[in-house]
Amino acid sequence: MKKLYLIKLLFLLLFFMKGIQADAQGFTASGTVKESVTGNPLAGVSITIKGTKLVTTSDASGNFSIKINSKSAVLILKYVGYKTIEVSLSADKPAANFNMEEEISSLKEVVITGLASSIKRSNLANAVTTVSAKDLTGTTQIQTADGALYGKVSGANIRMNSGAPGGGINIQLRGLSSLTQASAPLIVLDGVYISNDFQRTGRASVTGAGGANQDDGANRLADINPADIENIEVLKGPSAAAIYGTRANAGVLVITTKKGAAGKTTISFGQDIGFGRPLKLMGVDNWSEAKINTFFPVARRPIELSRFQSAVAANNFVNYEDYFYGNTASLMNSRLSIRGGDEKTKFFVSGSLTDEGGIVRKTGFERQSIRANLEHKLSKDIVLTVNSNYIRTSTDRGFTGNQNNSGASIGYNIAYVPNYFDLRPVNGVYPTSPYFAENPVAVTDNAINNSLVNRFIQSFGLDVNLFKNERSQLKFKLNGGIDFLQNSTKVYLPDDLQFQRGQANPGDVLVGRQETMNTNIQAAFVYDWQVKRVNMSTQVGMVRLDFKNNGLFNRGRGLAPGQSNIKQATVQEVESQFESTQSDVGLFVQQQMNFEDKIIGTVGMRWDKSNTNGNANRFYAFPKASLAVNLTNFDFWKINAISQFKPRIAYGQTAGPVPFGATFTSLGGVNIGGLLGSTVATSVGNTNILPERAQEIEFGIDAGFLNNKILFEATYYVKTTKNNLQPLTLSPATGVVSTISNEAEMRNKGIELGLSGTIVQKPNFRWFSRLLWWKNDVLITKLGIPSYTTGAFGAGLGTFLIQQGVAPTTIVGTPAISPGVFTVWGNAQPDWTTSWSNNITFLKNFDLSILTEYRSGGDNINLTSFLTDGGGTTKGWFNDDNKDGIPNGRQRPPSPFNNAGRWVQDATFLKIREVGLYYTLPKETLSKTFGNIIQRARIGISGNNVFLATKYVGYDPETSTFGAQALANNVDVAPYPSSRRLFFHLQIDF
Amino acid sequence: MKKFQIFIFSSVVAFLFGCNPLKVKELTDPNNPSEASVSNNASRRQIQFLVTGLEQRHKGYVTNICQAWNTFGREIWYLNASDPRFQTDWLGQAGRVPDAAYFGFGATGGGSYATPYQAIKQGLVLIDAANNSGALTTQEKNALAGFAKTIMAYQYLIPANWLYENGIRTDIKDPLKPGPVRSYTAALGFIDSLLTAGYNDLNNAGSVFPFTLTAGFNGFNNIDGLKRLNKAITARVAIYRKDWQGALNALNQSFMNLTGPLSAGPSHSFGAPPDGFNPMFYVLDANINTIIVVHPSVIADATPGDSRVAAKFHQRSAPVIVTTDATPLVGTHQDKRWATNTAAMPFIKNEELILIKAEAHAQLNQTTDAVNAINVIRTAASIGNYGGATSQAALINEILYQRRYSLWAEPWGHRWIDARRYDRLNTIPTSFDQGTIFKQFPRPQAEINWDLYSGG
Repeated sequence: MKKLYLIKLLFLLLFFMKGIQADAQGFTASGTVKESVTGNPLAGVSITIKGTKLVTTSDASGNFSIKINSKSAVLILKYVGYKTIEVSLSADKPAANFNMEEEISSLKEVVITGLASSIKRSNLANAVTTVSAKDLTGTTQIQTADGALYGKVSGANIRMNSGAPGGGINIQLRGLSSLTQASAPLIVLDGVYISNDFQRTGRASVTGAGGANQDDGANRLADINPADIENIEVLKGPSAAAIYGTRANAGVLVITTKKGAAGKTTISFGQDIGFGRPLKLMGVDNWSEAKINTFFPVARRPIELSRFQSAVAANNFVNYEDYFYGNTASLMNSRLSIRGGDEKTKFFVSGSLTDEGGIVRKTGFERQSIRANLEHKLSKDIVLTVNSNYIRTSTDRGFTGNQNNSGASIGYNIAYVPNYFDLRPVNGVYPTSPYFAENPVAVTDNAINNSLVNRFIQSFGLDVNLFKNERSQLKFKLNGGIDFLQNSTKVYLPDDLQFQRGQANPGDVLVGRQETMNTNIQAAFVYDWQVKRVNMSTQVGMVRLDFKNNGLFNRGRGLAPGQSNIKQATVQEVESQFESTQSDVGLFVQQQMNFEDKIIGTVGMRWDKSNTNGNANRFYAFPKASLAVNLTNFDFWKINAISQFKPRIAYGQTAGPVPFGATFTSLGGVNIGGLLGSTVATSVGNTNILPERAQEIEFGIDAGFLNNKILFEATYYVKTTKNNLQPLTLSPATGVVSTISNEAEMRNKGIELGLSGTIVQKPNFRWFSRLLWWKNDVLITKLGIPSYTTGAFGAGLGTFLIQQGVAPTTIVGTPAISPGVFTVWGNAQPDWTTSWSNNITFLKNFDLSILTEYRSGGDNINLTSFLTDGGGTTKGWFNDDNKDGIPNGRQRPPSPFNNAGRWVQDATFLKIREVGLYYTLPKETLSKTFGNIIQRARIGISGNNVFLATKYVGYDPETSTFGAQALANNVDVAPYPSSRRLFFHLQIDF
Repeated sequence: MKKFQIFIFSSVVAFLFGCNPLKVKELTDPNNPSEASVSNNASRRQIQFLVTGLEQRHKGYVTNICQAWNTFGREIWYLNASDPRFQTDWLGQAGRVPDAAYFGFGATGGGSYATPYQAIKQGLVLIDAANNSGALTTQEKNALAGFAKTIMAYQYLIPANWLYENGIRTDIKDPLKPGPVRSYTAALGFIDSLLTAGYNDLNNAGSVFPFTLTAGFNGFNNIDGLKRLNKAITARVAIYRKDWQGALNALNQSFMNLTGPLSAGPSHSFGAPPDGFNPMFYVLDANINTIIVVHPSVIADATPGDSRVAAKFHQRSAPVIVTTDATPLVGTHQDKRWATNTAAMPFIKNEELILIKAEAHAQLNQTTDAVNAINVIRTAASIGNYGGATSQAALINEILYQRRYSLWAEPWGHRWIDARRYDRLNTIPTSFDQGTIFKQFPRPQAEINWDLYSGG
């Protein structure tokens, strides 16, 4: 009900805001704007008069008129995603018709390259990918912004940790920059360094799975409403991101939200209704008396046989995969935005409601978001921008994945339950499972795993023109912001669950509160000047970032029946409490030189210090330099078919931050027998620790053919990292296990190719296609410490080899070749990835978009199969391929059987990520029915992850039981299966 | 307007420089005190915290040893349906043998290696902190040193018994320059001398232990009690060293009492959070599939009427069955020694001392004394006096058999060590699980790596 009320309120607001008109004198210029391919009128096109502040927008029929106080004027027509038109009108010829062409090449778009400056894409020296709103959310509805980047960014290895609702995505740009940190990009949203942490939920503690990385939590980018995003710029590596200094080792995502626009206020309302179904299920095995006699020990066989026989008699077999995962998720999204303003003040206000269920019962994701973006000219030379966003997300991700002993994981549990035993409740009583420690139906019905986030993101900017003349201008830019987020988590296993009843203190609840406060401020002077024919832009500035985190988790065990308040617990415990703070300070200078758009060069330097470093007051320098040459802009260029040819080269350095606490040698607090004790820490701080450092050189060519109808982009990069953090394991006999060290070095080499163009452009039919292809190779070039294995569940089940001269993604395991040296079984890194996107406009009003991604190679460690083999439920368990009398489930190749190699499986896949078909209602129909109230109406159907082709045995070749981390992010342990999502859409603009 | 701009600009500049945005605060750990805070002139409270910290570290090994070593000696099975490797790897199924980073121990040796050494390190830090503190008298410093060395000696025995012939480091003062690896025999000699040093410290420590110990040390929380504990551990070390007379000498100064309760002895404290629960406790007949069960051979070999069997083993209403990709295992009995999950766990007790006495006498061919000691145990177990042969071999057989039931599943893995002492590992049955009996573990990978790194 609350949501309905919100919508009503927003509707009310927007009716008040309508109808701001401009008044002037002179001749009246007028015209009609149409879309060049479809011939449909374009509403909301912004029309400005060059040299004046006059502005208007086209109406629903594409018509506009504007009074001009002179005899002639140059009109500039702008519309997002279309080529800008400039045309002269005069009192003699006051009216015209305009056809606007869609801007495919995007060469003119502006890319934010520096902290205080931007550059035209055609002059860019780096392969920066810009994902526009249309690309991001134009085809289908995706829960989170990072999920909407799949297949749209070359060089990005995006991986969904599980299919649970509400996010949980790991992006790695251009391979690995770190062995121990997540290698995830920095995210800057409207100038705010926002938190993208995977915060602890506590599920892994309660289920016994292990550390917080096995919580299957969401990353907090999930809070951002993707529909608010105007574009995402992806700075993939140090050469593009150098000016961001520390924290930019793994690249930067620069997210810009939508802004207001001068002119008539437009109100947009969008509604999605959809459903989700499991993308793929593995299937379960049937049982026979022969199989029971093989699988179970002698003493157990009689009862199993009698259970089996009664199931046969009653024909009562339960497919537990279908039962738990085969549900239909209901997916609902509502969005409302109001955009408008005049030449002084512009605003964009939006509200959105997401209420999406999961394919597992009682799971789901709700997000409510309100945003107000304001821009106001205080004077001719001072512009103030203020963006405010409040978000509330509530996520129920259920119980899947790893567990230990508690049985509180659906997939883990049902791996052991034969289909002839019925776990479903009878008269409210859940049968006790004789096969595992818990009845997973009871867990699904009655347990809680909720994370509730309240979050404010506030940014501000102040742009001041301090000085301006014909040849130069000096600007001052101040901006900054706050990201405050509070995450309240609750994981609850009721006292009457099977496992809990077997505990000394039945019932378990873990309640957490985490608060994150990020603040940042940046001040810069930008001086644009000219030296003869060279445009110079000089900037100097400083940046300061402050991050504060704190968390408190309380646990109660031995709960009163049905109670989840910790005060109702027999054993009440402060489970953990932590605080952390860190501050970074940076100074930067950058000099850009542009010789008539022919030769564009940039040099820059950033100096950073951070108080998590060994030396808090030492500045580390990060240089950058780049050069782009637009050969086609020179007079000697005579090949008309090639409209752009730009060789480019860029170099830069960045850092990866030292984690909080790396310098501390602490005494831990422990309690025994009612006394407080201090214990010597098992890791020694390193007071000389340095940040990780990366340097990258990238070079490539951007080429445009046939008037930039076809664009080709090729980039090669070499990114080398040094001072990589890794634990130096000491002799454990010293009582100290490790200290953090800086000795490792890595190298990533890769290629990124892009080819896009309009294949067909005819009246009534346009086909735009884009092909991306990329690959990355990572190698440890220096380790500095003895080689070791790390990650996943040890050598018996596949682990990772960290050794000089091999990729850190190398999977090794039993059998050992010699003591400590294991067999190499695979490599987690994909060989290459390609994506193909197509947009087809046909029959005037239909738009069809399809995005396909193919990832070749890359191995997973599939321990879901390990579990189902252990429980006899793998499909085909009882077959005997080599006819030696031992069933397949007990004898997995490669020979010698049952070593780690059996679980290392190729995760190659083809996915149709997005497909959408939209129909824009003809203007005439709308006008006839609704008059001029509705400017534009669009309906459509779409799908997300509609198709998967893979030989991989698990639910989804993309999975990570350990969440987002540099290594071992490909381990499959009974995850929440991914879903195929289908939608009906309605979009109305008023 | 110009004025306005200048105003804004200058106020921004004033703001930026007024609070010096280039300054970052030096970080100190907001969550914990630093180790450096106790290294010089620690207060009495800080010393107390280190003492309690040592008690905490002292019990760190319990879970791993209880589960793993008792499995190696087939006193128990640790059935764990969630992770088959507790069965396949720990039982040595399908010919598995320990490697340098074996499951359950990892590259550092975990609870059988890294953890006991952390207790030893804690002891060293405590001794240093005490010596550098102006708040303590010499007598108090001696008391702390004596206590710490006694506990450290106990802890050294754990890695020594785990690696056995592979040897351990005994000099660990400098984390970046640990001493050489010494043989099992040399390590036991070192441990014995450490106990002697601790005893000498306690001899110069007056009568009152100046700091608080948990209830687990009740009866031992004074200098006399700690000396008796020191000698009890010395006796255990002595039989490992085959120093039979030394064992008898130590027993005489220990808390052994032939007529006292067999269960007397110090224990590890457990409790509800913030303390930790007793890791051996499982609710009787719980419908769970991760549980310690009594090894079938222990039930099969029991003497009828043995009250230890009735006291320690509970026959479950439904057996626990765990299937892995090897043989399924069926557990019919579980451990019922612990009344609650907060019950304290003895780490050396009178019953063991009497059995040490019996063994030492038997080895010295003091048959009557040996039989008398055996009969103390047999009487308590309600199985009557010993009536078998009194040859040395027969007595040792009897003593080892009684040790299986008297010291069953203690946090030490007695049967594994005993069978190895007498070269009888092949008498431990593997027929129930088709496994392998391990003799010892290789040096952990982290140790091998350290030697590589430090150029050793």
